Amino acid sequence: MIGYTELNIDLTKAQNAMKEETHRFAREVLRPASIELDKIDDPETVIKSPLFWETMKQGYDLGYHTIFLPDSYGGLATDPLETHIVLEELAWGSVDFAIGLGISCFPAFFASMVPSDRLIDDIIEPFCQCSDASLIGCWGITEPDHGTDTLSPFTATFADPAISGQTRARREGDEWVIDGQKAAWVSNGTIATHCLLYPTLDPSRGMAGGGICIVPLDLPGVKKGRPLDKLGQRALNQGEIYFDGVRIPSEYMLVDPESYESMLDVTLSTANAAMGALFVGVARAAYEEALAYAKQRIQGGKPLFEHQMIKHKLFSMFMKIEAARALSRAAMIYNYNNTPPMIQYSIASKVYCTNTAFEVASDAVQIYGGNGVSREYPLEKFFRDARAAMIEDGANDSLMITAAHHL
Amino acid sequence: MTVFENKEKMQAVLGGLFEKLLADPEFGPKFVKSGITIKFNISDPNAELWVTPGDGTHGQVAWGSHADKATVEMTLSGDTCHKFWLKQIAMPIALAKGLIKAKGPMPKILKLLPLLKPAYEAYPEWARSHGLPVD
Ligand SMILES: Cc1cc2nc3c(=O)[nH]c(=O)nc-3n(C[C@H](O)[C@H](O)[C@H](O)COP(=O)(O)OP(=O)(O)OC[C@H]3O[C@@H](n4cnc5c(N)ncnc54)[C@H](O)[C@@H]3O)c2cc1C
Repeated sequence: MIGYTELNIDLTKAQNAMKEETHRFAREVLRPASIELDKIDDPETVIKSPLFWETMKQGYDLGYHTIFLPDSYGGLATDPLETHIVLEELAWGSVDFAIGLGISCFPAFFASMVPSDRLIDDIIEPFCQCSDASLIGCWGITEPDHGTDTLSPFTATFADPAISGQTRARREGDEWVIDGQKAAWVSNGTIATHCLLYPTLDPSRGMAGGGICIVPLDLPGVKKGRPLDKLGQRALNQGEIYFDGVRIPSEYMLVDPESYESMLDVTLSTANAAMGALFVGVARAAYEEALAYAKQRIQGGKPLFEHQMIKHKLFSMFMKIEAARALSRAAMIYNYNNTPPMIQYSIASKVYCTNTAFEVASDAVQIYGGNGVSREYPLEKFFRDARAAMIEDGANDSLMITAAHHL
Repeated sequence: MTVFENKEKMQAVLGGLFEKLLADPEFGPKFVKSGITIKFNISDPNAELWVTPGDGTHGQVAWGSHADKATVEMTLSGDTCHKFWLKQIAMPIALAKGLIKAKGPMPKILKLLPLLKPAYEAYPEWARSHGLPVD
């Protein structure tokens, strides 16, 4: 059963059913798998484990990798409210798998903005029809030397020629040739088959001189690093990608410097709105565990829940989650229905919801007492998952500065 | 100077283009099957153009206010419209830069894009035949 009351009285039967189904998948498949995989020390072992692939395949089989893609190609094509509902439920089970499945669509999603016959045949349709996780996408934007620098469109430093990317693409005839490296943070990095890559095309424009292209990762000159060992979201594979004279057809370069900054704004708006929805799910997961525990753990002769201090804390967690859902749904519904989007709302949602997930998970650990920090219980995992999110898709403090430029 | 000197001219060019396309044996049924109703809010000259799946067998072109609810609403100037159909500006770029403002769920807009291909193909010749600049 889903542990919150749906305040949207207009939700249809089909939307309620979609929520229940996603919740069931999250409870029965994603949550147990991600807890099991979280216990594995070496991230290389995670991606070699049959459990990881079995879980990814089930997610693909249900089409969760295609929620952003049109049904005409075979995508799930959920509307903005449904997208929020699905992401919240998936992340309630496992934010690691929810992000892995969500980010996977990036190459096909961007290709569907400029749908030439070749892109439809090579990229979009095969991805939509993939039901065994044999085609996986990733988003390669940040670099070892440029993290926040890459994610600050329309700020003063973004167009400073003294600051430009270390992954470069140059035109040669009908091809683009790519050299350089993307950061160890690229989600799905070492398991991806395709990258939506953001290289620099014109360094004289600084970070604004970028482009957006699709790189099949089986091309000569592509090399991948080892999976990154990190705090939280451990079933989300990450790793660097190196490019050494990699050649792609010109048709795979989707965006040039002329519109790069605007398209980055669209990218960040889309990704940050999704992050908001996802981390409502994480906050809720932590809150529900803490509420159940508080009703059963006896101290001072009665359940923790009967102590005013604990009740007050739980209600404060409840309020934050409801506020986070209201903001992130509104931001997603507006920005996924309007192009160009208003990035400040997506960023407000991302920052608010990830901060909320962190605060709620921290309070939940506190309510669990010593058990909260024990790996026997899922609380410390939620806490770690939430902490990583405050840096993921842009460090919250810097994102706020980027968004503030729009006030 | 705007490309369309007045509303009547724009109606003849854009309305005519869609009527021609809806009558096309390939585009017409595909568009109707998509179930998408598009509303173009055009400025300079000001007009509302609707392209709808009609009665479910034959698509329909209409001007002015309309009883249907738009699946996708595009707000743009007459000049942007002309450049867009001439492929002088790509949709995602026009959208990202705000030259075209789109309202409607993202997957529906993305679904629409490949459907519009025949319109791009037909437009240069069509515009030329109506005396509009196409270079
Ligand atoms: C879990 C996770 C998943 C990720 N997934 C992806 C992915 O799929 N693809 C991808 O490309 N990247 C990904 N990233 C990378 C992520 O976007 C970056 O880590 C993030 O943008 C911050 O960049 P950085 O780590 O280089 O930190 P830095 O940019 O070095 O920032 C360090 C600190 O300095 C602050 N700071 C930075 N610049 C300024 C400034 N100008 N003024 C004041 N303060 C500043 C920041 O706010 C931050 O607190 C992921 C990261 C994580 C943690």
